[in-house]
Amino acid sequence: MTWRRRYGALIRNAWLVDLQYRASIVLWIIWGVMEPTIALGIWWTIAGDGAVGGYARADFARYFFALMLVNQLTIAWDSWYLDGWIRGGELNYRLARPLHPAHEAVAENLAYKARSAGTILVVWLLVALVWPAVRLPLEPGRWALTALAVLLAAAMRFFISFTTGLLAFWTTRATAIMELHGGVSLFLAGRIAPLALLPPVVGNVAGLLWFPYMLAFPVELLTGAAHGPRALLARFAGQVVWLAVWVGAYRLAWSRGLRRYGAVGG
Amino acid sequence: MWSAESQLGAEPLGKPGGGKPALTLRIPHSAFRILAAFWRLNLAEELQYRANLVASVLGTLFYMATALLTLALFFQHTVRLGGWGYWEVVVLLGVFNTLTGVIEAVLRPGIGRLAAEVRSGGLDLVLAKPVDAQGFVSFRRLDIWRFADVVLGLGLAGYALLRLDRVPSVAQLAAFALALGAAVVVVYALWVGLMSLAFWFVSVENLSVLFDALYEGARYPVSAYPGALRFLFVYLIPIAWTTTVPASALTGRLGPWSAVAAAAVAAAAFVLARLVWRAALRRYTGASG
Amino acid sequence: MSSAIAADGLSKTFRVKVRDSGVAGALRALVRPRYRDVHAVRDVTFRIDPGEIVAFLGPNGAGKTTTLKMLAGLLYPTTGRVEVTGFVPWTGGPDFKRRIALVLGNRQQLVWDLPPEETFQLNRAIYDIPDAAYRERLAELVALLELGDVMQKPVRQLSLGERMKCELAAALLHHPPILFLDEPTLGLDVTAQEAIRRFLTQYRERHGATVLLTSHYMQDVTALASRVLIINRGRLLYDGALAALVARIARTKRIELVLGDGVTTGEALATFGAVKSFRFPNAVLEVPRDEAAATSARLLAALPIADLSIQDPPIEDVIRQAFTHGIEEDA
Repeated sequence: MTWRRRYGALIRNAWLVDLQYRASIVLWIIWGVMEPTIALGIWWTIAGDGAVGGYARADFARYFFALMLVNQLTIAWDSWYLDGWIRGGELNYRLARPLHPAHEAVAENLAYKARSAGTILVVWLLVALVWPAVRLPLEPGRWALTALAVLLAAAMRFFISFTTGLLAFWTTRATAIMELHGGVSLFLAGRIAPLALLPPVVGNVAGLLWFPYMLAFPVELLTGAAHGPRALLARFAGQVVWLAVWVGAYRLAWSRGLRRYGAVGG
Repeated sequence: MWSAESQLGAEPLGKPGGGKPALTLRIPHSAFRILAAFWRLNLAEELQYRANLVASVLGTLFYMATALLTLALFFQHTVRLGGWGYWEVVVLLGVFNTLTGVIEAVLRPGIGRLAAEVRSGGLDLVLAKPVDAQGFVSFRRLDIWRFADVVLGLGLAGYALLRLDRVPSVAQLAAFALALGAAVVVVYALWVGLMSLAFWFVSVENLSVLFDALYEGARYPVSAYPGALRFLFVYLIPIAWTTTVPASALTGRLGPWSAVAAAAVAAAAFVLARLVWRAALRRYTGASG
Repeated sequence: MSSAIAADGLSKTFRVKVRDSGVAGALRALVRPRYRDVHAVRDVTFRIDPGEIVAFLGPNGAGKTTTLKMLAGLLYPTTGRVEVTGFVPWTGGPDFKRRIALVLGNRQQLVWDLPPEETFQLNRAIYDIPDAAYRERLAELVALLELGDVMQKPVRQLSLGERMKCELAAALLHHPPILFLDEPTLGLDVTAQEAIRRFLTQYRERHGATVLLTSHYMQDVTALASRVLIINRGRLLYDGALAALVARIARTKRIELVLGDGVTTGEALATFGAVKSFRFPNAVLEVPRDEAAATSARLLAALPIADLSIQDPPIEDVIRQAFTHGIEEDA
């Protein structure tokens, strides 16, 4: 009962603050949409009338619109928040409350996404009215599976971002590490191109790491990429495993980081 | 800090507060002396943080590396992008980095902070001084380490030219210099125009994010974009030209008078931006036109 | 249950990296770092009973905030023990945190863009305050702090004094028995300062909370605290009532005079004691404590004096003396 009330209050708070900043949020959404749009434009040109690696123009359009939506549903930016909290002294009063600061971060995440992902969804629907290429077939089963994959991806990205932010207990360059991660995910998570278009070596490396599970896998599911049942199971298993790994990393970073904070202060 | 000003005997540019700023800028020695004083202080501050130079350069190299890898990925699946070969696009990438270096070194720390100044009331202090507000806000603060990006960008472009086995002629270099200068002016004008919106939309604190988002479109040549995007990046918000034109000058794609045309466009953009600034400032100070 | 707050031999030492200047120094620090110890708090021992208001006094860097943070559980002690309402703060967990409130002056927890009401609602959820209790306590706090007009305005539109009052209200909704305040009146105008002092006194009278505050302002101490802990360079110099401290270390008294006609220079006064100030007709003399009465009698007999009073030296001077010279026993 109390957790429902707590999250209700936290999300309501975050939603109201976002309401004050809705103009700024529109600009952030535009910023988030630009990268997939430009990538789509370039691949559109390259694909011409044929196909590239099995992707024709319509396939690219579907892929990148799906990417926009899935990205907004899974993105996390807590490394920047935490970095600010730890170095600005704002962690102190949060630690003195009987509420783990991560809950506030999760609530903020949810409130923001409700707004931003909702916007992207509406835009996609409007575009789909006039542009057949971006329409998705109506497949509730597939959408349900996608929802699960998106949930797992969002959780994992949250823990990646939060854990990286906790590095601010030890270094002033926590945000730089997050940018490094972002640079790698540009390729390995499928942001700049579907993973099938990467050189095979790179694709193999990606498969060994958590990156495809951040974005590429949910996007492939959503756009109707074919997966046999065994492959599907393997991918979901991969998501669960990597989520567990990052939750573990987060717990380690939190307990060690708090200990260090208690030693040196903030 | 104001010792420079106290040495001034020269005439002030615009009247402080409600006076209308001139359409053209007469730039007397006094303005340079004031700016120089600020830059000296700036430099002294920045030199304390030499670690920032290393971090900045590493960051730029990282982003350049990801951009080159992105290009490599595109060119895995095609030979020409909008008619441009790989190393030609790398030249354009070098120009892109040069321009973003100027943006990070001059524009973002200067006029990029306008919204914050308007909100905090710091702009009023600027308006009370006997300097042109636009010039002052634009140039009083530099992030000098980011000039390294300019060097890196030009270096990349030069290296790409080497790989193309092309040595630009003197005329081409002159055209390049003119086109690059014009591009800087256009980018500056875009920033001034965009930041002037801060006078109307005071609560929007991340206006520069809008520029960053759209300027990503300048990474690739104009011809690489399909119709709708080309309309956006070329005609609606003409950023794609800022990299395509200088790069074309360097790789010999440009006709002899195109660079001059670019300069004309830059001049027009500058005038337009100044008009927008004047209108915004008029509204802010409450004076009637 | 004995004390609300108990500290025994509390010490906190920070290991700080020593960095030489220049590029060579930076490289050296990377390869073979050197450290030095900063003893922020040294062997501090005290007891605070429930319901007391105690002030921590000390110059900047004395160790006040570090001690406060150890009591609140944000830092753990290097050596020594500390216990607050039966918990060890560092390991106390949510149960401990429900029993304290921490208000740090410069890092406010009010949500900046929303009215304070929203922060109150948030705290209600975080601390699991039952609805009826919440309404009752909010009404009381709003009345005591006079917050009626500001409840609907966004926090960013409030004055510093109004914000501090809202901070206090937000911190007390869950009726913590222990209240830690770091510089609560810093930067406020006189009216706001007095309002806050009045409120803290009233609140304590009503609810018996234990209040520990750090401050630079003498008025905070004299108006609020029954007891003063003076800290300098990590050591506890004094623990007791303020009046006793003044008596112990103030070796002098001040005689304030309003002179009548005929005494236009300070020279005539110099034979009676040190002339601290002279602006006709007012003058201030400083004399040894035990001679004050006798000297006053002689002054009245010898000079035309319209008014005379004997005062303790300003408390700031007394405290400053304690910081610099320590507190010696009476000779």
